[in-house]
Amino acid sequence: MLAEHKLKILQDLISSASKEELGWMNNYISSQLTPAATDHPAAQKLTANKVTIAYGTETGNSKRVATDFAAKAKKIGINAKLVSLDQYRLNDLPKEEYFLTVISTQGEGEPPEAAKKFYDHIHNNGFKLEKLKYSVLALGDTSYPLYCKTGEDVDEQLQRLGGNRIVDIQKCDVEYDEDAHHWFEKVLKKLAETDSKTPAVFTAPSTATEKKAVGKKSYIGKVLTNIDLNDRGSNKQTWHIEIAADDVEYECGDSIGIVPENAVLTVEKILSLSKGINAGKKVEYKKELFTVFDLLKYKLNISHLITAVIKRYAAIVGKEITETKIDLPDLLKTYPVKDAAQFEEVLAILNPIAPRLYTLASSPAAHNGEVHVIVAKDMFTVNEEKKYGVCSAFLGMQKINNEIKFFIQKNKRFRLPAPDKDIIMIGPGTGIAPYRSFLAERDATGATGRNWLFFGEQHFVTDFLYQTELQNWFETGVLTKINLAFSRDQPEKIYVQHRMWQQGAELYNWIQSGAHIYLCGKKDPMSVDVEHTLVEIIEKYGEKTNEEAKEYFLQMQNEGRYSEDVY
Amino acid sequence: MAEEKNLSGIEKIKQASDALRGEITKSLKDEITGAIRESDQALIKFHGMYQQDDRDRREERAEKKLDRLYTFMIRLRLPGGFLTADQWIAMHEIAGQNSTGVIKITTRQTIQLHGLVKSHIKPTITAFNEVLLDSIATCGDVNRNVLCSSHPKQSPIHEEIFDYADKISTMLKPKTKAYYEIWLDDEKIADKKDEEDPLYQDRYLPRKFKIAIVIPPNNDVDVFTNDLGLIAIIENNELKGFNIAIGGGMSTTHGNPATYARLGTVIGFVEKGEQTMKAIYEVATVQRDYGNRSDRKLARLKYTVDKLGATWYKEEVERRAGITIQEARPFSFNERRDYYGWQQNDKGVWYYTVYVESGRITDDEEQAVKTALLEVAKTGKCSFRFTANQNVIISDVVAADKDHINSILEQFHITSYTENTSLLRKNSIACVALPTCPLALAEGQRYLPVLIAKIEPLLDKYGLAEYDIIMRMTGCPNGCARPAAAEIAFVGTAPGKYNLQLGGDRVGMRLNKVYKENLDESAILTELDGLFNRFSAEKTNDESFGDFAMRKNLVTA
Ligand code: SRM
Ligand SMILES: Cc1cc2nc3c(=O)[nH]c(=O)nc-3n(C[C@H](O)[C@H](O)[C@H](O)COP(=O)(O)OP(=O)(O)OC[C@H]3O[C@@H](n4cnc5c(N)ncnc54)[C@H](O)[C@@H]3O)c2cc1C
Ligand SMILES: Cc1cc2nc3c(=O)[nH]c(=O)nc-3n(C[C@H](O)[C@H](O)[C@H](O)COP(=O)(O)O)c2cc1C
Ligand code: SF4
Repeated sequence: MLAEHKLKILQDLISSASKEELGWMNNYISSQLTPAATDHPAAQKLTANKVTIAYGTETGNSKRVATDFAAKAKKIGINAKLVSLDQYRLNDLPKEEYFLTVISTQGEGEPPEAAKKFYDHIHNNGFKLEKLKYSVLALGDTSYPLYCKTGEDVDEQLQRLGGNRIVDIQKCDVEYDEDAHHWFEKVLKKLAETDSKTPAVFTAPSTATEKKAVGKKSYIGKVLTNIDLNDRGSNKQTWHIEIAADDVEYECGDSIGIVPENAVLTVEKILSLSKGINAGKKVEYKKELFTVFDLLKYKLNISHLITAVIKRYAAIVGKEITETKIDLPDLLKTYPVKDAAQFEEVLAILNPIAPRLYTLASSPAAHNGEVHVIVAKDMFTVNEEKKYGVCSAFLGMQKINNEIKFFIQKNKRFRLPAPDKDIIMIGPGTGIAPYRSFLAERDATGATGRNWLFFGEQHFVTDFLYQTELQNWFETGVLTKINLAFSRDQPEKIYVQHRMWQQGAELYNWIQSGAHIYLCGKKDPMSVDVEHTLVEIIEKYGEKTNEEAKEYFLQMQNEGRYSEDVY
Repeated sequence: MAEEKNLSGIEKIKQASDALRGEITKSLKDEITGAIRESDQALIKFHGMYQQDDRDRREERAEKKLDRLYTFMIRLRLPGGFLTADQWIAMHEIAGQNSTGVIKITTRQTIQLHGLVKSHIKPTITAFNEVLLDSIATCGDVNRNVLCSSHPKQSPIHEEIFDYADKISTMLKPKTKAYYEIWLDDEKIADKKDEEDPLYQDRYLPRKFKIAIVIPPNNDVDVFTNDLGLIAIIENNELKGFNIAIGGGMSTTHGNPATYARLGTVIGFVEKGEQTMKAIYEVATVQRDYGNRSDRKLARLKYTVDKLGATWYKEEVERRAGITIQEARPFSFNERRDYYGWQQNDKGVWYYTVYVESGRITDDEEQAVKTALLEVAKTGKCSFRFTANQNVIISDVVAADKDHINSILEQFHITSYTENTSLLRKNSIACVALPTCPLALAEGQRYLPVLIAKIEPLLDKYGLAEYDIIMRMTGCPNGCARPAAAEIAFVGTAPGKYNLQLGGDRVGMRLNKVYKENLDESAILTELDGLFNRFSAEKTNDESFGDFAMRKNLVTA
């Protein structure tokens, strides 16, 4: 159809273009096709209706989607305002006209860190939102028991507050682009209806090029090493695991997701309580056939059941069940099923095993074709009985040459800055993982920025994770400064935040000269204490009021100079 | 004077150290490592510590990406090896809190604690200081812990002689205040004059310097193995003075013919009191000025004497001290042992010598020495004295308290253990060696007890069980258990391999010689079986094993 020379130009352009550029061109061209873009008067009119697109994100997906939509909306003349929920002025809510929320679900069905304030606000305050016209796009992952829970909550709650839903909630799995655009299409239609001038038809751009760019590709890796980094006599067990996977693609700051297998012992315990079901019997689960044994070993979450599942179990066995945190074996022991058939019913109501994430401790530049993780044995007691975390125990047992299935969980919020920028890395315990990755990367690429590490554990002698590697980086100057907090080597407990406070003056200097700060490790109580200390340091050495210090700290977050990866 | 050219590395470190301060305070602050800086490792020795690492754990820790398990060994300064009951209790607690818990009695009448991590050094030294104990100059190129015949029953005037140990130790103590500044956070001294050190200056001695005082006829301290030996001369129950022997030393280096063990040469007699003190002081200054400072292997006083001649050395001391060293007085030794069990001195005071295997005070299934001694100390009715054979004497017990203390010893099976231990075991010592000693080529104190268990039957077999034979083992030729002065010695050459040395006399006045090299256990046992067989058959009535070996030219003198 195109004339030779035009076609040539187009082909050159395409062949020289990057994925992103292609995506953009694609959108651009399609938007050129939409009447709105040509219909000027209409476009002017449209600027009348104000649309707020608010996103709540942990690892950046919701932001990507929201930003993409905001851009498109603008292009067709909609006055769209893009805002992250942690920046959102909650008092504006009642004044909103069109309010679109793109929000993901984290933890055990909780809102992303950045959306907590908003989430609590709409759940707590007894205010009304009569004026509000809204719709929710929920990002999630079907491999998690509470699929898109946060999105659902927000959707329901906004309605309770009197808002009116212009488009039903759209839940999106890992491959969210298509569904997301589908939802946005519907939203635009609705906007059009309420405003005659809005283009009646909006052809969503084909998302072909973008799809490839996202989603979780799963890899099969081979275990190369698995060593317990803690010395004899330690209270801890922390495994350093190296996995080979040639084709693996990731960046420093990413983590891997692993779906653990259940322990054979536990599975057998369950079978023994199943009132004689045949372990080899084939049963269906989510439209797939498995033997009962395989189902229990590879598919079903049988530890730490969520309340919804416990409720369903209670219904099946027809009993009153009070426990909230309980695993299947205990459940079967205390509230036995009446026969194998009933046990089979129970299988059907169980959720799939959720993947566990482990921040990568390796760097693409330094450990080509490998991913390294550091896994802390998770121990806890349920009424005097010692129990171990499913995935950490599973990984701890891995032998060399075992095959492990994993996916890469991107974390756009936790990236190295420009090579010449200084970084301050705070990561007690397994929080050290991304910093081993950062240091290896900066070492391999010869980045010039200074690197300062705060690490902490219980005992210097037994728990100094990666000690010799850190020593080498320190001697070769890659690691500029290191401060250590070993909590139990002296009568009084010393943690990283205490070391930071001692180093306050210099720490503030680094911050002033543009350093990026990273925090990784256990959320409670560590991350909270560290944040407080940072604010206190800014307050003291920046000679600011507490308010100013908080403001300054917030500013750092906006500039992407403070990143957290806490769990 | 001594060749100042090409000084050894240590010499440079000493002189640059600002009176033994170096960068130690900085080293202690290096968070990333359990070690201290290289040059400081040489300097803390002067403060009584050695940096070590558990050699058994190196490989495993490396795999875990952990640095070597660096710890520190601290050695106390205990002239003559004396401790009060309160000091014992304090030491017991400190050992438990900051070290491996094992209290190690050394062959120089003091104790060592092993396994202190860097951050525990200061608390340890502070705690010791509170009970007036210190570790100053127990290592390094200075005068070391001063030995003195330990058992008060040795002589009615034991106490008078014993006091010299402390006097000498004090006189030869470095003047620097570094120890107090670094470890006890004392104020930095304002005026450097306050620590001017005419004896050590900024060079200290070329090498370690050891002094022992002995009361004949029991040579329990091995007086002739010291750089400077003092033999108490007692005439009709009165201390006259001391014969001086110089140039003793045990150490050799495998494959270095220039090195050799040597027994001290008696150069004469000095009157007790000031003359003695002056002579001692100048023996040290001559070694300071003429000792070899370029090759540490040849830096001990023994080589200085042989280089310049004993007579010259004597005259130089006389000149410097402004005294005349008289002709040596007659003396003789007839034994070299600890007096085990209950003994009484001339004043009717009681002493119990506890046999402590390898000098390791700890509790094991056989006996609870550590707890027992703590309980004994808690009575407050005694003091403690360490022997040069790594044992401890519960001392100065008045008759009224003896039964009570004895009952404690029985309760923890100390008495039975000491009594039932074979003569051979009680006459044996081994050095520390593995895992802490970095110089060890073979096992020492961990292995000798095992080997003895296999030798005892051989002695029984030839009816020699009741025979005194002095047997010693070291993990390398440095000679920390004074092997060259033993009748039978095993000197480590490689893991599981020892040189078998024979021919030392019973009282420590003749060195032994290498009989066979690089023997493993079975070879050792076969050799001893043959030797004991011949000995039992061919010995003259009360001939010692060492004398027998010489008479039969088993080794060539
Ligand atoms: C603890 C002790 C052996 C024992 O089991 O009792 C000992 C242990 C060590 N001796 Fe010794 N020596 C000990 C008495 C001796 C003796 C015997 C004596 O003094 O009566 C000798 C032989 C006499 C002599 O000095 O000639 C002795 C000759 C050495 C030498 C060789 C010195 C030389 O002239 O070459 C060294 C190596 C060195 O200094 O370079 C050495 C070095 C060592 C070191 C510190 C190894 C080192 O330099 O790093 C050993 C520490 C091992 C550990 O982990 O504890 N030790 N050392 C003795 C402590 C005595 C004290 O309280 O001060
Ligand atoms: C982004 C991210 C990065 C991470 N990076 C790392 C890392 O680098 N290294 C690392 O070690 N971990 C990391 N984690 C944590 C990791 O993902 C897992 O959460 C951790 O290993 C525990 O998983 P598990 O299967 O062993 O324990 P689980 O079996 O999931 O149990 C976890 C907790 O649930 C509770 N629980 C479980 N069963 C019961 C029951 N029956 N009754 C009562 N309570 C129960 C217990 O409190 C237990 O501690 C990261 C997490 C995230 C989100
Ligand atoms: C620690 C963690 C827990 C998660 N838990 C859930 C969950 O309970 N339910 C769910 O639907 N998705 C869950 N997810 C998947 C995320 O919602 C999904 O990856 C989403 O794309 C993240 O979007 P974001 O980058 O905007 O945060 C979880 C992801 C992580 C990292
Ligand atoms: S003799 Fe050798 S092995 Fe034994 S302690 Fe002394 S230096 Fe160490």
